[in-house]
Amino acid sequence: MQLEKFQYDNRIVRNFAYATILWGVVGMLVGLWAALELVFPKVLNVQPWFNFGRIRPLHTNAVIFAFVGNGIFMGYYYSLQRLLKTRMASDILSRIHFWGWQLIIVAAAITLPLGITTSKEYAELEWPIDIAIAVIWVIFGWNMFATILKRRERHLYVAIWFYIATFVTVAVLHIVNSFELPVTFLKSYSWYAGVQDALVQWWYGHNAVAFFLTTPYLGLMYYFLPKAANRPVFSYKLSIIHFWALIFIYIWAGPHHLLYSALPNWAQSLGIVFSFTLIFPSWGGMINGLLTLRGAWDKVREDVILKFMVVAVTAYGMATFEGPMLSLKTINAISHFTDWTIAHVHVGGLGWNGMLTFGILYWLIPKIFKTELYSRKLANAHFWIATLGILFYAIPMYWAGFTQASMWKQFTESGQLKYPFLETVTYLKPFYATRSFGGALYLVGALLMVYNIYKTVRQGKLVANEDAEAPALEKTYQQHNGEHWHRWLERKPVPFLVATLIVILIGGVIEMVPTFLVKSNVPTIASVKPYTPLELQGRDIYVREGCYTCHSQMIRPFRSETERYGEYSKAGEFVYDHPFQWGSKRTGPDLAREGAGNNRKTNTWHFNHLDDPQAISTGSIMPSYSFLIDNVLDTSTTRAKIRAMQTLGVPYEKGYEDKANRDLAIQASQIAATLHNDSIMVPSNREIIAVIAYLQRLGTDIGKNKIAGTSNK
Amino acid sequence: MEITETIQRSKQKSNPAGKELTRCYHCGEDCDRSISTDDKYFCCEGCQFVYQLLQQNGLCNYYDLSSTPGIKVKGKFTAERFAYLDNADVQQQLIRFTDGRQTHVSFYLPQMHCASCIWLLENLHTIQKGILYSKTNFQRKEISIAYDPQQTSLRRVVELLAYTGYEPYISFNESEKKKVKKVNRQQLFKIGVAGFCFSNIMMLSFPEYFSSGSIDQPYLQKVFSYLNLILALPVFFYSASGFFISAWKGLRQKWLNIDAPIALAILVTFSRSVYEILTATGPGYFDSMSGIVLFMLAGRWFQDKTYDSFSFDRDYKSYFPLGVTVLKDGAEKIVTINTLQKGDQVLVRNHEMVPADAVLLSEEASVDYSFVSGENTPVLKRKGELIYAGAQQLSGSVMLEVINPVSQSYITQLWNNNDVFKEKKNTEKSFIHPWSRYFTITLLLIAAAAAFFWWMVDPSKILPAVTAALIVACPCSLLLSATFTYGNMLRQFGKNKLYLKNASVIESLAGVTNIVFDKTGTLTQATLADITFDGVPLSQHEINMIGSLAKQSVHPLSRLLTQWLENQFTMSVLPVSFFSEMSGKGTAAMVDGHQVKLGSQAFVAGKQVNEHKAENGTVFVAIDENVRGVFHVHNRYRKGTASMLATLAGKGYSLHVLSGDHAAEHDRLRMLFGQNAILRFNQSPQEKLDYIRALKKDQHGTRVLMLGDGLNDAGALLQSDIGIAVSENISQFTPASDAILDCSQFTKLDRFIAYARSGKRVVTWSFILSILYNIVGLSFAVRAALSPLVAAILMPVSSVSIVLFVTAATSFQARRKGL
Amino acid sequence: MQVVSVLIILIAVSILVAGGFLVAFIWSVKKGQFDDDYTPSVRMLFDDTPAPDEESSVKSKQS
Repeated sequence: MQLEKFQYDNRIVRNFAYATILWGVVGMLVGLWAALELVFPKVLNVQPWFNFGRIRPLHTNAVIFAFVGNGIFMGYYYSLQRLLKTRMASDILSRIHFWGWQLIIVAAAITLPLGITTSKEYAELEWPIDIAIAVIWVIFGWNMFATILKRRERHLYVAIWFYIATFVTVAVLHIVNSFELPVTFLKSYSWYAGVQDALVQWWYGHNAVAFFLTTPYLGLMYYFLPKAANRPVFSYKLSIIHFWALIFIYIWAGPHHLLYSALPNWAQSLGIVFSFTLIFPSWGGMINGLLTLRGAWDKVREDVILKFMVVAVTAYGMATFEGPMLSLKTINAISHFTDWTIAHVHVGGLGWNGMLTFGILYWLIPKIFKTELYSRKLANAHFWIATLGILFYAIPMYWAGFTQASMWKQFTESGQLKYPFLETVTYLKPFYATRSFGGALYLVGALLMVYNIYKTVRQGKLVANEDAEAPALEKTYQQHNGEHWHRWLERKPVPFLVATLIVILIGGVIEMVPTFLVKSNVPTIASVKPYTPLELQGRDIYVREGCYTCHSQMIRPFRSETERYGEYSKAGEFVYDHPFQWGSKRTGPDLAREGAGNNRKTNTWHFNHLDDPQAISTGSIMPSYSFLIDNVLDTSTTRAKIRAMQTLGVPYEKGYEDKANRDLAIQASQIAATLHNDSIMVPSNREIIAVIAYLQRLGTDIGKNKIAGTSNK
Repeated sequence: MEITETIQRSKQKSNPAGKELTRCYHCGEDCDRSISTDDKYFCCEGCQFVYQLLQQNGLCNYYDLSSTPGIKVKGKFTAERFAYLDNADVQQQLIRFTDGRQTHVSFYLPQMHCASCIWLLENLHTIQKGILYSKTNFQRKEISIAYDPQQTSLRRVVELLAYTGYEPYISFNESEKKKVKKVNRQQLFKIGVAGFCFSNIMMLSFPEYFSSGSIDQPYLQKVFSYLNLILALPVFFYSASGFFISAWKGLRQKWLNIDAPIALAILVTFSRSVYEILTATGPGYFDSMSGIVLFMLAGRWFQDKTYDSFSFDRDYKSYFPLGVTVLKDGAEKIVTINTLQKGDQVLVRNHEMVPADAVLLSEEASVDYSFVSGENTPVLKRKGELIYAGAQQLSGSVMLEVINPVSQSYITQLWNNNDVFKEKKNTEKSFIHPWSRYFTITLLLIAAAAAFFWWMVDPSKILPAVTAALIVACPCSLLLSATFTYGNMLRQFGKNKLYLKNASVIESLAGVTNIVFDKTGTLTQATLADITFDGVPLSQHEINMIGSLAKQSVHPLSRLLTQWLENQFTMSVLPVSFFSEMSGKGTAAMVDGHQVKLGSQAFVAGKQVNEHKAENGTVFVAIDENVRGVFHVHNRYRKGTASMLATLAGKGYSLHVLSGDHAAEHDRLRMLFGQNAILRFNQSPQEKLDYIRALKKDQHGTRVLMLGDGLNDAGALLQSDIGIAVSENISQFTPASDAILDCSQFTKLDRFIAYARSGKRVVTWSFILSILYNIVGLSFAVRAALSPLVAAILMPVSSVSIVLFVTAATSFQARRKGL
Repeated sequence: MQVVSVLIILIAVSILVAGGFLVAFIWSVKKGQFDDDYTPSVRMLFDDTPAPDEESSVKSKQS
């Protein structure tokens, strides 16, 4: 064990940095586009690929997995090598990881506009891509653990713990949530149905935020903040406590996304409590971050990098304070389904992730290019513009959310709802406009950075392999006994990795259970029947067009909602929904009972509305779906779909897959006929017919006969 | 008052005019621009050397991480300083592990103090070939080094450390603080397990609460509660074990300590929950139980602020060198100190310590007994005289013949005869324990009452009521309040550079009645003095001559004189020739053509006076053989001492002074301490010790606080109820004590005591608070109406709020007491 | 029935993960990872680039 010379791999860091910047800009651009679509629906919704329903998932995926994702890896590959005093275990794996990840992103960028989606938020990508993600993720993990095992620094700095946690949990979450049954090469059905699906989805959904947007970034904070400030973290002890506390609590916080939903009460409350407890570890981290700069605020005033980081940490504090608040039933009753949520996530996204990423980039690029930042002035400009952007974004959104919520809930003296839904939408337009402006500002800031970094790179030269030296890790002569099993693992990388993988695989194995459980799924509401083939096809179009991004299908037990939409939703109604379509936002009205009661509209109404929403309801910001009139419905898939549903336990009678298309044709022609009566000439084999069929079916079952079975609420 | 005046005077002049000063680039001390390398200035060759060394090895990052991080290398090293490290059995004691190719040692480096230190010390391998790696533990001020014995040697490694200013602290019986780690780990395991189980139990219990007791799927409820049961087992049997053990220990001594009620609560909670679950009569209280355990474990862990880098229990041996140079038939040879034989001839170099009682073979020696007697002016010894172990040799190297091996030397006797040093200090039990005893008893009474009541009304409710009472009345808040109060107070004291051995010291400090001071080094500043001159007024030229001569001498008195002259007058140095210094007598030289003599009356004036009777702290001066007068060197007392003592006296503490010195200072001390104070002089360590002992005996209820610095006070420090070692530089070694106080803070003593007293009040208040919570809880319990939910809420609420309260209160008190 | 079945799975998975981390925790304590809870936070600030480059690398950090 002598002093060893080795080299850090900076090329991989640079690549991820470039990717971060590129996808960051793209993601923000798409976001801006989507935001503007709500302001200029007729102009910007270029059908079908750029309709809001398809763009919005593209935006979320782009910023989360492309921008932040690459940001994470950039930070990992830089800090991991230096904290462990070793080069990454395998450059090849690093490269596979990089290119693999970029391919996945490209795949996403192509498939989502094409409407290839599972409609599970932040997990919209279809099954082949899901598999690709799993593979690449494991490769990344393999590389990371192998590196940890060949390290030259025995102590694992707290940041590395955060990295490990990220790897393990994200792997498990991804596998559990994206467990789906392929129907065709690019179409699959979620293995879980209705309430189950919702529960799993939001268990994932919340932890995606927790372990993709928070944990890794906390790791980065614990590395780059002290580095940039050149002073040790305020309390290392606290950071350790912070990590372990977070780990033991976070995984449980999911269900609060489903408050007042058909999820059993106690399961909701569970979510509340854990979400609430989260505030303690979260703030522990924030305080630790801010106090690191105690007595160095003069430094912060000069150093733009620290400015970015301070704002980031502050935003983290705000978001993690707001989160638990939002999970309280009383507040959630107001905030849920409104733009409040949008504001919340963007404080986190723009503030915490965005600003920290910028800070890291400004600090890191000059380092690996052995030069100074091209212009601190520009960086400062970026900082202020970005901060302004966040304000212009967040404030109107909070405002919008709050006003809309209160408008939804207001009644006249005579006990009528005060505002028709449309009015609450048109009222928000100015807010949406300002929000877009804020977003635009933020984007401009990012562009400034692109130029600044471009110049910096030009004036420097990449140190692809940075020389470093460190003494080899000393052999641990046994000080204390009872660590054999582990020491065995430590000597052999492979067993260790196998062990980690097994942990994840067990998770996968356990997932097989539902397939058996599903069989025993007896519908608790007798009158709830499977969808007809046409409705099923229509539903898949509904999914494809991402209608769930604006329309919820979950009526909460409030008078204001039952008045507006009809009887509140019961868990039993969703037993055949693969996947569930509860949605999380009401830019448009709830559709859970669209086909039932006084919500029911004529086929013609639906036809015209889909064709040109504004013509029917003036001021609507819904995009036109006229292309559905031209698209011929692809019935070749019907068979496969019915079979799949049967596998998933949906009680279509045996061999129904062969009769399915016949029934489909019949129902289609009936609808076409009603349209003919209103002198709308449309062939019955068009997609729009299927969609209408589905919309007319929504929420009707429960009305047919009053609940036979026990409703479980 | 005369003393304060002199302080004032010297203060004004403390910055000598005319000299252009700068700060040493290495250690940051003021220095002139005489020594410099690439336009960086240094105060001494030592600093310059280190800089050059680092610079050659490209380690100048050292200076960027924090400004002037260096340590002034004190005292110059003779080449043989570390020779003893080549001795095999010395190495034997130091090396932790070796396999011929790599050797592991770890040292305690008192000087380690900043990021730069860590950085430099972990880059040693770049300076010296053969060092494989070096890792520091900043809090313990430890460094562990692995080196290749073929390429370098233990001695070379240590020398490197010493030259760069980080002289490791090496002595035998430095086997302290190795066990600490293991304990902490055990604690961490327990916390981890408890934390894991708690969070999962919590999450499995909530459905119960929120579905108001009825989950729609009954079998699910079963699953949950059994999972809870499983998860609770490790908490009960592993994490909580500590409480049971200590409670049991207490009971065996017929003593209900603080852990007793806690153990009881945990036990009851556990057994009732098990019963409920097995009989499917309820969900149990596992969440409360594991919560209690977790909180208390975590609380204790977070609060145990131990000063790893200090060692509070050193005995005299720690001051001794590991190896001694013995002269065997003409050849120098290094042996370990405890192998010294009667009749061995040992070589003691300048500033080295005499390892054993020995007879002087060389002509004469001047030794400093301050370690043994506290007397800090050197004593002259002639050939054939006896020199006791612990004396420090000041003038050149001398030969001695050992007459007693270390084990029987005077200083060792001093220790071994006094059981003080063996028997553990009688740590009176904290006042918390009585509290907890009453608590437990009352609790049991209440439970009994409830039982009786229900027996009358509805016997079926007896068990629920009683158990509930015991569960909810968990005294964890009681325990937490004490731990957190004292934990925070330890921190506050630490901020003011008073480092307490442990929390119990706070209580004893609060209870102090008598305060005993050592003089030299405690009341007085060793490095500064007030000097008065009586005799013929001196001309500027004469002052220059005297100063120039004094500058040359190494004798402590001359040093003080030089310093004083430089502060009082603007001196210019004159050429000095024929310089001669006679240890114990004085020094003489030709300065600017005149013969100047400084020293004892005998030496200067030629009169025959017995050295030992000569008045202490006087320097006679003669120029060209005629005596011009005498400098009286008085101690300087620490600034603010007067007011501090006044406050203490005012508060009715009885003050004492035990000085190893002659009575010269009596009058000034009297002025400081006032009439009631008791002053004793010429105190030997043994006498000091006995004095304290007597003090404690004569009237009951006296609590003695002793402040001392030297080894000579060690006995007294241990004998007293609380001994505070005052230290010029806390990184240097202090005698065994309960606390270490940085001398700069010495005059805050009154405030420290006041603060300690306030601490007790805080705890009392927090107890009252927690009692209130208990009343609430009990009111539920005795009605047999305690739902698990109430328990689960009450438990954390009470604990958290109490922790917040005590933390706030103690911090507030600290500010109020001016700390 | 339905909700529950999947809930069991989530609980199982979550406890599994948490348990995994518990093991990791015990392991790391055993290895003495947390014996020193200060020095690492300083150590991570140092660049371990070879001697010559020190100056420059430091400067860029300072700036």
